[in-house]
Amino acid sequence: MKTRLFTAALALVLLSATGLAACTTTEPDSSSGTKEITFLVFETPNLTPAYWDAAIKRVTDKHPGIKVNKVVSPDQDRTKYAKQLLSTSQFPDVMIAVSPVGFAEAGELYAWTPEELKDFEFPSNGAVKGRVYQLPANTQTIPIVYYNKKLFADAGITSEPKTYADLLTAAEKLKAKGIQPFVTGGVHDNLGVFFAGIAGTDVYSANPKWIADRRAGKVKFCDAPFKKAAGKLADLATKGYVNKADVSRDYAATQQAFLDGKGAIYPMGNWFAGELDSKKPAFEVGQFNWPSDDGKMVVPAFTGGGLLVSAKAKNLEAARTFALAFQLDKTNMDNASKADGLFIAVKGYTPPSDVGAHYKAGYDLYAKGVAAKAIVASMGFEAGDDGMLAGVGAKLDSSLVDLVSGQKNPDQVCSFLDSEWQKAAG
Amino acid sequence: MRRKLLALAIGAVFFVPLYMTLVNVFKRGDRIAPEPASLPIPPTLANLDAVLSRTDNLFWVSLTNSIMVTSLSIIVLTVLSAMLGHYLARTPGLWSKALTLLLLSGLMIPPQVILKPVVDVLRFLQLMETPQTRLVGLVLFNVGYYVPFGVFVFAGFVRSIPIELEESAALDGAGRMQVFWRIVFPLLRPATASVLIFLGVWIWNDFLNPLIILGPGTGTTITTGIYRSIGQYQQDFGSLFAFMFLATLPVLLFFLLLQKQFVKGLTGGATKG
Amino acid sequence: MRRRFTHFLSFGGPGVAIYSALVLLPIIVSFGYSLTNYNPFNPPTKFVGLRNYSLLFSDEEFLTSLRVTTILTVIVVIVPNALGLAIAVLLDRKGWVYNALRSVFFVPVVLSSVVVSIIWTRLLDSEGLLNQTLRAVGVSDPPGWLSDPDYALYSLGGILSWQMLGFCVVVYLAGLQGVPAELLEAAAIDGAGPFRRFWRVTWPMIAPALTVNTVILLITAFKVFDHVQIITRGGPGTGTTATIAYLVLEEAFVANRPGYASAEAIVMLLIIATASAVALKLLQRREVDL
Repeated sequence: MKTRLFTAALALVLLSATGLAACTTTEPDSSSGTKEITFLVFETPNLTPAYWDAAIKRVTDKHPGIKVNKVVSPDQDRTKYAKQLLSTSQFPDVMIAVSPVGFAEAGELYAWTPEELKDFEFPSNGAVKGRVYQLPANTQTIPIVYYNKKLFADAGITSEPKTYADLLTAAEKLKAKGIQPFVTGGVHDNLGVFFAGIAGTDVYSANPKWIADRRAGKVKFCDAPFKKAAGKLADLATKGYVNKADVSRDYAATQQAFLDGKGAIYPMGNWFAGELDSKKPAFEVGQFNWPSDDGKMVVPAFTGGGLLVSAKAKNLEAARTFALAFQLDKTNMDNASKADGLFIAVKGYTPPSDVGAHYKAGYDLYAKGVAAKAIVASMGFEAGDDGMLAGVGAKLDSSLVDLVSGQKNPDQVCSFLDSEWQKAAG
Repeated sequence: MRRKLLALAIGAVFFVPLYMTLVNVFKRGDRIAPEPASLPIPPTLANLDAVLSRTDNLFWVSLTNSIMVTSLSIIVLTVLSAMLGHYLARTPGLWSKALTLLLLSGLMIPPQVILKPVVDVLRFLQLMETPQTRLVGLVLFNVGYYVPFGVFVFAGFVRSIPIELEESAALDGAGRMQVFWRIVFPLLRPATASVLIFLGVWIWNDFLNPLIILGPGTGTTITTGIYRSIGQYQQDFGSLFAFMFLATLPVLLFFLLLQKQFVKGLTGGATKG
Repeated sequence: MRRRFTHFLSFGGPGVAIYSALVLLPIIVSFGYSLTNYNPFNPPTKFVGLRNYSLLFSDEEFLTSLRVTTILTVIVVIVPNALGLAIAVLLDRKGWVYNALRSVFFVPVVLSSVVVSIIWTRLLDSEGLLNQTLRAVGVSDPPGWLSDPDYALYSLGGILSWQMLGFCVVVYLAGLQGVPAELLEAAAIDGAGPFRRFWRVTWPMIAPALTVNTVILLITAFKVFDHVQIITRGGPGTGTTATIAYLVLEEAFVANRPGYASAEAIVMLLIIATASAVALKLLQRREVDL
């Protein structure tokens, strides 16, 4: 028995020796002049591995001197992942759609020059202390309320809700028919999106500078507007319009649930149009803005969402070149419009003529909002000086789950957030 | 007979999670979510094949890293802690008592408590640079972290060996090192086996330290490799189960081969640690 | 003197050096961090004395993590211990069936916590095997084992218990096999029934096994991180399953507040040091021979 153990140990050693040999052969060849960069992306049902690989390849084909190592976030929360990478010295050279909050203050991000930003429509969006770290590449409406027209018809709802009271009435009718009114999930890109709608009508519409005031200590989470918004979400859950169990769903499962007709109303970022236009669900899908109490139009939106570059990238030049080229590549922009439903915020860019109907419908809602000056910030998605302090956004997300699950009431949530804000500021 | 049936029934319930894993390794991916417990008929090797032939070689790279980190760590640990354990067991006096106490206190420190400064120390030593240096850093941390455990197993065992053996060898003119490696170390086999198995399993299965110290890119071990593939296989449970199966296979084979030593090493090791 | 020094250097030097650099030094550094507001996202770093420590005891998240860790520890100390003893008594017979079953129960002990976590996530997911089965037998609305804040922590405790059960079984079996058959026979002749025999003869003799299991389970439960990270990420909601080990790592590596995280870590260390010291005392008193 003893000898067997030692044979086994010997085998392990031999294996490790072959491992070492294999390892030395894979050592990167740094002499050949190609610049290697790492690029952090995230995957969703719409943004597949193939989507990213093709988009990267289009850029590297034009810049053959750059070699890109794709790093995939283990889940939707790429900002959290980027933070973890940073604290273990593995900050990627280029990242997409990561919130710059915190990273910028810590001096980890490269600040884009006005020259580099000249092609963007809103070159100062998302600035941190006056400097822009994330390419303001596109605008997203967060949320648009998507709804299942067939289920609405089944419940006898004939017109789109104009006011919050209309929305509640519609939800009640759906519920009476045994249809789950709202579909959501427990992650930032579900419940966070959902709440951005409520916060848009109840917090930002009355005070567009709310977050600046919070930073200045002039308002608190426990003031009436935020508490009212939190109360609305909790109330939807108490009434059963939002199903408590939904918080277990991740992003992909939530989207699937709506597409499977498991619920009628799906407040989601306009990127969902990409999925609708490519997959063509079995039922018709309509869109409207999250309704305010008095029916006044409010369109929460966020411009930013583009690529960021690490200030300490080994090949900073290559990283910058890649990021700009990736962002401004015509085909990439077209694909981002189609697959991710983005409204590209680049000067002179027009969406391809073959965009889908859902994309167009969402874009029209946004355009009307712009014309009516009804655009407000999307709470929890704002960036830079207009955003939450580093770390508080994640607390808001988990608090939203608490509200839905009934684990905490709006009072507990707002005082928790105020104390977390204090902690983050200290 | 009643007892046997009852034992089998409880065993069966306990086995359900393992059963589910096994059948799903060989089942078509699209059937896993709707019918997780059904038998894989017809069986397929597609899941295993998908993992083994991934274009980014995640499995093979992870396997190589795990084998390297585990074997290097346990070999260095055995050598260093056997010598240190012997030194402490054979050196009388306050100094060796104090040193023992210092090591003893390390036994109960959870890695979470020190991981942040550990990363900073490794960064200072320039070991957080490339995937290769990170592997070295991980091995070093494993060694530092588990040395107290090894020392106590070995020191305890050395005390049970009559010192006369060493003294007579020393009289014959052999040096300290020679005496240790020629005479003492071969007698320490049971302790060595215990240390190798206990730490081998522990380090192979370790998730936290590789997660933080190695990170993504090419630097995954088998456990962090599985973790990384969760995100990528949102819906592809077949590959996920296949990956877990392949990752566990080496430990499982060792376990089935050396069951007695495993049970002894793991339970005995734990009580000493 | 010189000879003694070279003896130490050659035999103990490398081990002690690595241990000092990667365990002792980090503890000191960690304590140093805990006295600052070190936060790379919010420079500059200043010395703040014991402020972090005083903040801790009014920090809802930290207090919740203590509560979560305590509940988890209680579950994990009791469940595998009790079930382990029952199963060990059941399996304490000769024959291949019993041997095979012992191996089955031990398998999870050699599995990585990552693997265990993923398997159980698939089982307990809202659409997982357990709920599918429950629906099939007529439970129309089975609970979200991992997503309902009322269940998640207990599910986690159950998963850990499953993983540790085999360990307890083996330790108890070793204890049971140390009970002399003559003693049991003598008690039987005296007319003691099976329960009385167990209480009066077997139980006192396997008490050391109980101590071993309790200590190991205590330490395991207190350090739980992997399962939380993979299965629940501290949720659902805020901190419902965030153990202290999880919170420390979140603060240090995600929230990037190493100063505050270190204060939490030092408190965690103090608690575990006290617990282990007590446990070690108990262990030394009852050395068990496996």
